[in-house]
Amino acid sequence: MTTSDPEIRLFVYESARAGHIPAPLDVARHFSLTPQQAADSFQRLQMADALVLLPDSPYIWMAEPFSAVATDYPVDSRGSRWHGNCIWDALAIAALVGSHCTIPVSCPHTGTALTLETETETLVAAPGVVHFAVPPARWWDSIGFT
Amino acid sequence: MQLFRSEEDVVDWSETTGIPIGAVFPPEQLWELAKRWYDDRFDFDWKRRPVDARQALLHQAGLTGEFWSLEG
Repeated sequence: MTTSDPEIRLFVYESARAGHIPAPLDVARHFSLTPQQAADSFQRLQMADALVLLPDSPYIWMAEPFSAVATDYPVDSRGSRWHGNCIWDALAIAALVGSHCTIPVSCPHTGTALTLETETETLVAAPGVVHFAVPPARWWDSIGFT
Repeated sequence: MQLFRSEEDVVDWSETTGIPIGAVFPPEQLWELAKRWYDDRFDFDWKRRPVDARQALLHQAGLTGEFWSLEG
């Protein structure tokens, strides 16, 4: 039986929620594929806007809202830490993870510590204001700067 | 998409960096959007939502007006 791209996409997301965004090798081992088959699937999923790969690389950069690289938007819960690609993604991770989450960030202008807290469906601490520099019609012009 | 201490800090940051101000709004609105925008990511047959569905999610979070139009 051939492993489908949706199966691989879901595996990536379940792994991300568990705290680790997989490399092609991880996917290959899990589904008994070659690393190239897994990398090809990642490429197709990127074409479908389901994943974002690091430039000129087979490795995942973003399985939105999860980031595979450390960012300034961490999400902490129950001794685990995830990273969002921006404040929106950090809140989305908190929503997907559920339970009590803290998002300890700093104001990009002053460096002031700002910590958001969520409790399942509720935002229980919400200091500061959100700024979107780029309108949504242009978010995909440069996904790394929104 | 960043969190600032205050709207005044956004203005100062914009002047310092030369990056124009886009939209400024409270985290509560972003929380409502975040809960809905990504709630399908664990669906097996996930596909990117069509433009009208994404626009509706923005509207449901109270994010309306020219800046939030996906038709650009």
